[in-house]
Amino acid sequence: MNISIKNVSFSYTDCIDDAVLKDVNLQIESGECVVLAGESGSGKTTISKLINGLIPLYQSGTMAGDVLLGDKNTADMTLAEISRHVGSVFQNPRSQFFNIDTDSEIAFGCENLGMDPEEIRERVNRVVKEIHIEHLAGRNIFHLSGGEKQKIACASVNATDPDIFVLDEPSANLDLKTIADLAEIIKLWKSRGKTVVVVEHRLHYLRDVADRIVYVKDGRIDCEWTPAELEEKGPEYAASLGLRSLRLPSVVAALEERAQSIAETITFRNLTFSYQKKFPILDIPELSLPKGKITALLGHNGAGKSTLAQLVCGLRGSWSQKRAARKLGTYLIMQDVNHQLFTESVLDEVLLGMKPKDESAALEILDSLNLKSYAEKHPMALSGGQKQRVAIASGVSSNRDLIVFDEPTSGLDYRQMLAVSATLKALANRGKTLFVITHDPELVLNCCHHVIRMDHGRIVEQYSL
Amino acid sequence: MPNVKTTGKKSSNTLVRDLVNVGIFAALYIVLAFLSSSVGYIPALIVFSTGSIALVTSIPLFLFFSKIERSILCCLIFCGFFGTAMFVMGQGILMLSISLLVGLLAGVALKVFGKGFAGLFSANIILCLMSSSMMLPLWTSTEEYLEYTRTMCDAGYVAKLAELSQSPWPLVAIYAFGILGAVVGGFIARRVMKKHFERIGLAK
Amino acid sequence: MKLDPRTKLFLAIVANSVILSAPPVYSVLMFAVPAILLLFEKKWKFVLAFFSLYLAAVLGFEHLKTMDVGRVGTLAVSTMMIVSRMMPITIVLYYVMQTTKANEFMAGMSRMHVPNKVTIPLTVMIRFFPTVFDESRAIGNAMKMRGIRLFSLQTLKNPFAILEYRLIPLLVSLTKIGDELSVAASTRGLAPETRRTCIVPVGFHAQDLIVFVYCLIVAACFVIASRAKQSIFDIISAIFC
Repeated sequence: MNISIKNVSFSYTDCIDDAVLKDVNLQIESGECVVLAGESGSGKTTISKLINGLIPLYQSGTMAGDVLLGDKNTADMTLAEISRHVGSVFQNPRSQFFNIDTDSEIAFGCENLGMDPEEIRERVNRVVKEIHIEHLAGRNIFHLSGGEKQKIACASVNATDPDIFVLDEPSANLDLKTIADLAEIIKLWKSRGKTVVVVEHRLHYLRDVADRIVYVKDGRIDCEWTPAELEEKGPEYAASLGLRSLRLPSVVAALEERAQSIAETITFRNLTFSYQKKFPILDIPELSLPKGKITALLGHNGAGKSTLAQLVCGLRGSWSQKRAARKLGTYLIMQDVNHQLFTESVLDEVLLGMKPKDESAALEILDSLNLKSYAEKHPMALSGGQKQRVAIASGVSSNRDLIVFDEPTSGLDYRQMLAVSATLKALANRGKTLFVITHDPELVLNCCHHVIRMDHGRIVEQYSL
Repeated sequence: MPNVKTTGKKSSNTLVRDLVNVGIFAALYIVLAFLSSSVGYIPALIVFSTGSIALVTSIPLFLFFSKIERSILCCLIFCGFFGTAMFVMGQGILMLSISLLVGLLAGVALKVFGKGFAGLFSANIILCLMSSSMMLPLWTSTEEYLEYTRTMCDAGYVAKLAELSQSPWPLVAIYAFGILGAVVGGFIARRVMKKHFERIGLAK
Repeated sequence: MKLDPRTKLFLAIVANSVILSAPPVYSVLMFAVPAILLLFEKKWKFVLAFFSLYLAAVLGFEHLKTMDVGRVGTLAVSTMMIVSRMMPITIVLYYVMQTTKANEFMAGMSRMHVPNKVTIPLTVMIRFFPTVFDESRAIGNAMKMRGIRLFSLQTLKNPFAILEYRLIPLLVSLTKIGDELSVAASTRGLAPETRRTCIVPVGFHAQDLIVFVYCLIVAACFVIASRAKQSIFDIISAIFC
């Protein structure tokens, strides 16, 4: 089924003045795999909403132009009709599922379309085999990791067997292994002759799958290349456009063996945690973090990284562990920043953790993070990257020495990642010790001094860079 | 621009959004109502429990009212859930009927007064009548209600309740405090909406 | 031993009404049903824990209620009484929640001709209870880290601030998740007009009839006994002797 986007302009109701899309024309042939790339806010997600019908049927705004699926105009269809032909996978794994158990979730789309139960069961079984998720069948979705949830989401849209798949930054919260699995799923769809549209700024896993990469800038389609063409232009070109590199840098290749011992460290002992005696989630006898430096924590989903972060910051664990953490002075910048923004203005947010409250010092902190002009704005009204910087600012103002970051760059484009990297380096220069949990090799290579790798609750390797 | 149209209009495509909102806010409402009504376990403060429920739930209710497109349907279903929960807990058909009536009236208020402060405020007050009615059976079918509470609390508490049921004034006080809680909560909620939600863009 | 969701609903309603208004004997009769059914589902631990707690509360209450234990003791005794009364309801609800899936529930409802417009919000509500607690806990953690505590000088100066700090991030978070959920469900064809099918077979079997009749008998006994204002045992012995 072809997709034709003809002369589409669109703006959201809340900001009539900046049209998000300006006269977009795009033709996607049946069986193509197209990547919509661009910086945050460029409009690429909005274009994907044209394909799955959210615009014009769900999202309020003003639109000009037409979108045709095959030869039918989407404005004349209902979302339910469109869902027969277009399957969508979104960015955030935890808010996509309707059911509590995996089998029902995979069957969800088919059930909505009123298919015969026998047929639905066949399809579910087929899909589970194709995507190799037999180990996830019959489980509680709340207990799965982000990567596993995302695979269930892919299985769910796969079951209805649509002609077109639309994926909106599906790799945002995933570790490298799961991203590789995701690439395999997309290859599978392509081999079936399906059309796949992926909105991304992380391009490395799509190098071998994509037919063309369409670059979106300021609401317009700027140019397009084949992956080979883009690669030829070199990594600096991609970086200048705000895109992550096409070839993923390998952290392993840049490592040196850690021979020397580090001058000053913050050491944690006996970091153990388990829900049941038999299955320890964490088993780390000693963890040393070099003071005033940035240490990265790598590991697959489920290796225990978040639990370690919570233990170190005193949010979990026994009384003594919590007391030790409080004495040390730790601060956690959470993955979901919405959980830690409380006040009505950015300035108040920074002042909240300060004792005693010093407005000029707060403004100085904001300035160092390029947030001074946003001092009066509501923290929740800012973009993702800005919210993160506000959370970091309040971390700085709390005057604690160890700051832990949980996935600070998931979903950020290249420029934003560089901004975070610069912020981290500035914090280290102030004497703070930083502990960064991340899947992002580019961030690690950009600013981290040491690397610790975890697997199944234990520390496996430690290196300096 | 030629051929310009508004998108996302109210249609069968946006119904799911409204229904999901009803589900979420109903879950939140029940949790908050349960937590803030625990004030009523202290016998002297029974009369204030309805006020605290109304106060605390005003903020999420204001947000709920401003988000739903189909006011009457959503309020009816929302209150229907609460009423059915009461019915299942053994409170009888009276509570269910009151809840449905309250839902209908609240939805109508929103339609008539619009989504401005007047509409949100009046809908909030109407809704607090539902949670305030939780103790109504104590006066309408006293014996049964006392039997019911006898299973849940000790004799001293039940005696206090029996005492209260002798005259209609405590009932009036319960409703009065409930409405007071909704009024105060309404003003707080308006401040919160202005201070936060409107600036975030979650509410208009 | 699968029960149709409609049977489970009937069981829950009858059990709750009986437990809340009848003498403890009936409570035991009613909650025995989900307890047995849970054993079929291999939830040994829960049933064991439940029984231990229940027995402790009942025995504790019976033993202590006539003694004078002072103010604090009275509070403990009343707690035990509330616990022993509320626990049977817990096991009934736990059984229903644990063994019924969302789509199964929706299918049962639609068989009873309850419109989708009602079952969809109901399903979402049930699915969201754990989410409300998870988000709330995460926000609580964040507050702890900022040093915002419930009992501190700051709170006394401005009590509404605590409410604000607790509620606003929760509302923003829930709204965001809700919007994303609506979008994910809508783009997968969820529409109230369409009649959904269900991958889980829904229908009545022998075990449903057994449970149904059992509930009716227990309820009937209670009604008869309370009307006659006599104990049910007296009535039965009067009939048979």
